[in-house]
Amino acid sequence: MRQFGELEAVVMDRLWSWDRPVVVRDVLKDLQRDRTIAYTTVMTVLDNLHRKGFAIREKDGRAYRYRPAHTREEHTASLMEQVLAGSGDRGTALLHFVERMPADEIARLREALNSFEPSKEANGR
Amino acid sequence: MTAPLILLGYALLIGTLGARGLQRAKWPDRSPGLGILAWQAVTITVVLSVMLAGTALALPTLPITTDLADLLRACALALKAHYATPGGVAVATAGAVLAAGVAARIGYCLAAGWAMTRSHRRQQREALELLGHRHAGSGAVVVQHSTAAAYCVPGRRGQVVLTTAALTTLDDAEMAAVLAHERAHLRGRHDLILASAAALMAAFPFIPTFRTAHAQLARLVEMHADDHALGSSDRRVLATALVALSGAAHPAGALGAGGESVLARVQRLAAPLRPLGRGGSAVVLLVAAGLVVLPLTVAAAPAVASAALDYCPVGFPA
Repeated sequence: MRQFGELEAVVMDRLWSWDRPVVVRDVLKDLQRDRTIAYTTVMTVLDNLHRKGFAIREKDGRAYRYRPAHTREEHTASLMEQVLAGSGDRGTALLHFVERMPADEIARLREALNSFEPSKEANGR
Repeated sequence: MTAPLILLGYALLIGTLGARGLQRAKWPDRSPGLGILAWQAVTITVVLSVMLAGTALALPTLPITTDLADLLRACALALKAHYATPGGVAVATAGAVLAAGVAARIGYCLAAGWAMTRSHRRQQREALELLGHRHAGSGAVVVQHSTAAAYCVPGRRGQVVLTTAALTTLDDAEMAAVLAHERAHLRGRHDLILASAAALMAAFPFIPTFRTAHAQLARLVEMHADDHALGSSDRRVLATALVALSGAAHPAGALGAGGESVLARVQRLAAPLRPLGRGGSAVVLLVAAGLVVLPLTVAAAPAVASAALDYCPVGFPA
């Protein structure tokens, strides 16, 4: 379903910008203003978003009404919480630039930073 | 019977004294790439030696010959002799269990760890696709968040991720250094180095050598990536970026346990160490290769010896 990645982002943006549940046709009409797109494609994209837990859907007559499961901010917060909490032992899924450290460790780091030989002082800030 | 004992002793020696020596050595910080190689050689040697010891116990010594018929006959004779000795069956079974058990345990942990990693990464990529946006110019993915952080999602389509707070915290030069560091991780597939070390650690949690190896490899890949970043960035700029992004632990997040290694990274940038010279590098490479080759020779030696002896069944007239 990789080819829908970019489209999923666009559709999710729309869902976040509307504050009401929408049916496939609403999304389709909106998207068709700036691109040619098939009904089934939009349906697949919304289904993907539902499957991935980004959208919630409720049966409304014969159609589904979709709305975001969480706000963009909530999603981002939970994603980053996982990422930041995982700097220690959550396997090797991600590689961090640097581990986060408590204040007293930071003080030692700053000390080490001050120990740069003076000749290089001009290059830094 | 001597070969398995020598191999087990060798594994023990490399796993304890060898690992301790490497852990105390100062040169890996100077040439982290060689340090990575040395730690991999140590862990591979330990695993290989134990597996070869098991195999040597399970299988009787076979002479080396190019004649298939000779080999098969020798094999049958040797097997018969091997299992005729008292306790031979028990010893052989123990050896087979050891060799197969070690291989299966490592294989399982590698596969399980990799499956977990892949699913984490897929979740990351899916979420980033919807939540992040491309940073013009660098191609990194930017996520709206108040903690300054930079990381990468390795894989065939490796991605560097930055938070908006990191963008405001770092100046352009520092940003370039961070990106260069993360790209070095992605290009060098440092995740694979750590994944295999983590699998060994998970497979044999009671063996401290593998835990040490994993910790040392985690530290060395960071230093290796730092050195790559220095190809295009100033030392002080990279060190400043390191300190800037290690600050203010996220309230919900666990604190990194690697304080010492971050400090070592900054100190290493502040007072640069000369990388190992050509001679030193050659010694490391030779010793690393020797470590791995030696158990193979020990395991093969009885076969070579028996091929050379004329009372060996090979070539017997029928």
